[in-house]
Amino acid sequence: MTKNEFIQNIVPFKDKLYRLAKRILVSQDEAEDAVQEIFLKLWKGKENIKNYNSAEAFAVTMTKNYCLDRLKSKQASNLKIVHSNYHASENLERSVEANNGVEMVFKIMETLPEQQKIVLQLRDVEQFEFSEIAKILDSNETAIRVALSRARKSVRDALIKKYNYGIK
Amino acid sequence: MESNKIENLLNAYFEGNTSLSEEKILKDYFNNHRVAEHLLQYKPIFVGLHVAGMEKSKQQLDTFEIKTSGIKPWWYSVAALLIIAFGVGAFYLSQPQLTAEEKEALVAFEKSKQAMMLLSENLNKGAGQLDLVDEFTVSKNKFLK
Repeated sequence: MTKNEFIQNIVPFKDKLYRLAKRILVSQDEAEDAVQEIFLKLWKGKENIKNYNSAEAFAVTMTKNYCLDRLKSKQASNLKIVHSNYHASENLERSVEANNGVEMVFKIMETLPEQQKIVLQLRDVEQFEFSEIAKILDSNETAIRVALSRARKSVRDALIKKYNYGIK
Repeated sequence: MESNKIENLLNAYFEGNTSLSEEKILKDYFNNHRVAEHLLQYKPIFVGLHVAGMEKSKQQLDTFEIKTSGIKPWWYSVAALLIIAFGVGAFYLSQPQLTAEEKEALVAFEKSKQAMMLLSENLNKGAGQLDLVDEFTVSKNKFLK
């Protein structure tokens, strides 16, 4: 694969990969670092991309794995203490922003388990088919549907709870 | 009528049983139409998902810069090594040449200096002998007044 082919076929996924990275890592800076790193890896492994049915699914899988690894090493090091603080301030922030429903949806999505976050992102934001998501997450379609249903319901329930709380 | 259909789709949506095209209808309804009052609570979800999909990375990829400059270091290191080797080699090669010339000059200088010294020494000796000649004239004058 030449540089031009790479730019034409792989680079257009940049925003998609960035959104997924940001959904998993939350921080914009970290997501951008991750995307940079992933494109370097993709470029280095560009000869292997041909062996995959879909270059997009390959890139998304790579992004997911990379971000989950990052998250794991982050949690393993020093983030635990920060994390407990983070929740308190986040709750405060949330009640302040209670009138902005969209903002609230984003905040609620941050609290979902990683797997549900990824499924929701890939399906409802990026419109992947269930079969593709199953392949990316190395799972089966039924499990994906269940995770997706849980994620959607969590968002709905949390949102309605916030709304009612705000009204009362 | 319309909201009835949307309600059914919503139920299926939360159970994870909608197809991509049905989800598109839902997204379109909540983003681009007047939403029925009792469905308004779901609006943020679909607007949020729509907004989330429009976010773009502002950063520039510098992958290719990294990559192309990543190949060079191999050549760079060889080139740098050659330059250093050449520099050091030239330095060492030129150093003895210079000193040999200098040494020759020094030797020549020392030799000529020595020769000059010898010359002047002998000259002084000769001049010393001339004092005796003077003595001779003095004593000769004593007699021949």
